[in-house]
Amino acid sequence: MYRLFVLRNVKSGCFGGHAVISLWALLLCCGIGASAQSTAPALKANPPFSIRATHLMGLPNTKGNCKGTLSTQDKVLRFQQNGKPVAQVDIASVRHVFLGEEGMQVGGVPMKIGKAAAPYGGGRVISLFAHKKYDTLTLEYVDSDGGFHGAIFQLEKGQGELVRNELVARGVSSSPGEDQLTNQSISEVTHEDK
Amino acid sequence: MKTSKSNSWICLAAAVTVAVAFSGRLAAQSAAVKPSGGSSGSGAQWSVQVERIDPGDLGLAHSFQVAIYENLLEELNKTNRFTYVVREGDSKASEIPDLLILKTTVVKYTPGSETQRAVTTVSGSTKLTVESQLLTRDGKILLERTVNGNVRFFGSNLRATHNLARNIAKMIKQSKWPESERLARYSPVNSDCGRHTSPGF
Repeated sequence: MYRLFVLRNVKSGCFGGHAVISLWALLLCCGIGASAQSTAPALKANPPFSIRATHLMGLPNTKGNCKGTLSTQDKVLRFQQNGKPVAQVDIASVRHVFLGEEGMQVGGVPMKIGKAAAPYGGGRVISLFAHKKYDTLTLEYVDSDGGFHGAIFQLEKGQGELVRNELVARGVSSSPGEDQLTNQSISEVTHEDK
Repeated sequence: MKTSKSNSWICLAAAVTVAVAFSGRLAAQSAAVKPSGGSSGSGAQWSVQVERIDPGDLGLAHSFQVAIYENLLEELNKTNRFTYVVREGDSKASEIPDLLILKTTVVKYTPGSETQRAVTTVSGSTKLTVESQLLTRDGKILLERTVNGNVRFFGSNLRATHNLARNIAKMIKQSKWPESERLARYSPVNSDCGRHTSPGF
């Protein structure tokens, strides 16, 4: 009687041990699988990228000539002004990205007034030195209805290429006829220098 | 007596409530039907689809092409001449009954310089000349004009695209073409009908 009881007890203890071990193994496998799943996209995803830019035109619900931060996060290109809602474009919808160069006068309206007020044509002399070259980044994208859109950003010289490279790395097709554009930019610059 | 008086007041209040509710609903409906504030007059029932700018063989910078296109859409919306102003490739365009297509081809481009303008005043202007065509779906030319857009004194080079788009919109607003139901009877003598060159602005 006692023996039987003892045997049964041992058996149930052994069965319980097996169950615990198999449960533990199952949990471990699930945990490994879950962790592998969660790390896979993290390795794939590009790190976020942001840069100061001036939006000239083209983004939905955003005024022209306003400064803000241009950033890429996940699959979206965002433009954020201080204290204003974010304007964003799905990177997958961007068809082409073009890079250009533009020389502009700095200082805005106050500078213009100052130059106009300067005596003996001093304003013209100031204009000779008060100009700066910027990169212009032109995006061509389509909306959900397939309508063609264009957006233009102005960036500090040299930063346009960073944004373009970032977008190309995220799958945006490289721009056709860019060599032509580069040649034109050069001709514009030489024209400006004359 | 008292009960009938109160009943009549209740009926009156209910009638006023129903009238106010219906008038509000009607106003909302009419606002929904009128999407871009299409004004009365010739061409009010037309819609327009703006095509991308054809740079020709001038190698106009992409920023300029996009700027002309975006400015055109904005300026055409401001004219209130069209029921809808739609973009190229928009799938909704196929559902719009009376749709015109605006084609813009760059025929002349003189790159300028803001610095040169600021220093010399008389030189360095950016000049753009385009040929604009308004066509029907079946390719009939309703309007064909050559339009200029320049920036001579103040503003960046891209300002020329804004001036150009404004001039195109102004030209379209001032032009007359047959209404959609009369188009079937409309047969221009030649395709150059209505062609003229706008003065430089």
